[in-house]
Amino acid sequence: MGLGYAVGVVGVLFLAHAAYSTIQYRSLLKITEEEFSGPPITVVMELVGGMLFCLWASLTVPGKFLSILPQSDENRVVALPANLDFMMFNHRGKAFPLGVDMKLK
Amino acid sequence: MVSKTEDEQLIRLENQVENGGGGTWEYLSLVRKLKLRRSDKVFKYGSAILADPKKRSALGPEEWTLYEQVAIAAMDCQHLDLAKGYIKVLQGKFRESKRVGRLEAMLLEAKGLWSEAEKAYSSLLEDNQFDQVIHKRRVAMAKAQGNLAGAIEWLNKYLETFMADHDAWRELAEIYVSLQMYKQAAFCYEELLLTQPTIPLYHLAYADVLYTLGGLENLHAAKKYYAATIDLTGGKNTRALFGCGSAIAQLTRGRNRDDKDNSELQSLSAAALEKAYKQQSPTKVSALSSALRSLKVSS
Repeated sequence: MGLGYAVGVVGVLFLAHAAYSTIQYRSLLKITEEEFSGPPITVVMELVGGMLFCLWASLTVPGKFLSILPQSDENRVVALPANLDFMMFNHRGKAFPLGVDMKLK
Repeated sequence: MVSKTEDEQLIRLENQVENGGGGTWEYLSLVRKLKLRRSDKVFKYGSAILADPKKRSALGPEEWTLYEQVAIAAMDCQHLDLAKGYIKVLQGKFRESKRVGRLEAMLLEAKGLWSEAEKAYSSLLEDNQFDQVIHKRRVAMAKAQGNLAGAIEWLNKYLETFMADHDAWRELAEIYVSLQMYKQAAFCYEELLLTQPTIPLYHLAYADVLYTLGGLENLHAAKKYYAATIDLTGGKNTRALFGCGSAIAQLTRGRNRDDKDNSELQSLSAAALEKAYKQQSPTKVSALSSALRSLKVSS
C-alpha cells in the first residue's frame, strides 16, 4: 500500500517533469527558429516510464480485485438465508428440549 | 445469500467455537449477517456471553443486538422464561420501542397464546400499518397454527402491497410446494427469477417444480433451467447435474428419436457427477454408476 502510493507519486512527478521539459524544449526551438516536430527521445522515455508507474500504482493502491464470475467461490450462492421473518416456534424442537444449560439467571 | 467462501468461514468458526477456541462473538455476528437459523448454538454461546457482565459490556452498543438475537433463539429453543428475562432487559433500556413490542408479541406466540399475540400485532400495526415484519409475523402465526390456507391468504394480501419482497415470494412458493400446488409455486418462482436472476438456487427450485409438473413442454423447460443452474454454479451443484440427467431421461423415454444435443448433455452431466463423486466420496461411486445406468436404460 505505502509502496504503491510512493510509486504513484513518483509517476506523477515524472509526468510533470516531462511536461516541463517539453515546454523548455519548445521555447529553445523558438530561439533557434526551428520547426517543432516532436519532443526529444529522453522526454518520450520519461513519459512512458511515468505512465507505467502511474498505471501500476492505480492498479495496486485501491485494493484487491473481486471476482465477477458467477461460479467463483465468492459469488456462488450455496445456501439461501433461513426466512427468519417467517420463523415460527411451534415446531418439533418443542419435543426435544435443549438440555445444555439451565444455569443462567 | 450465503456464498461458498462465507459458508466455509462459518464452518471454520463453528468448529473453532465448539472446541472452545474463542471467536464466539465473530460467530454470532456471522450468523446474524447471513440470517441463519442456528438457534441452539446462538442460545448456548450467546447466553454465556450475556451471563458474564465483563464480556457483555465489552461489546458496547452491540450488546443490545445480542440481547435481541439471543432472545429470539431462546424462544426458538423453548426456553421461554429466559427469553422473557432478556426481553425485560431490552424493555428497560428502550421504552416504547416498536422493536421490543414485536419481541413481546413473539413471546406470546411462542407460548401459544395466539389471540393475545394477534391483538398485540394489530395494536402495533395501528401505529404503523406499513411495518412489513409484523405483516409477515401474522403469516407465520397462521402457519404455526397449521392454517396454511390462511397463511396463503395473508401472504397474497401482503404481496399486493409489497410486491418487491422476494423473501415473501419465496415463502409463498414453499407453502404452495408443501401443498402440492405446483402451478402456483411455479408462478412464485418466476417472480423470484425476474427479481434475482443471478441466484442459481431459484433456477434450481423452478426447474424442480417444472419437472414435478411433468409434460413434454415443462420437462424441456426444466432441462433448460437445470442447465442454467449448472452454468451459474460452474457445474458444482450436484442436484442440478442429477436433475439435468433425469429430465433428459424422461424426455427421451419411449422414443427412439436420438437427439444428439440431449444425449451429449446427459453424458456430460454424468461425467461431471462421476468426477465430483470420485473427489468427494469415493465409496459412493459404485452407487452413482448404477443409478446413472438405470437412467440410461430407461431411455
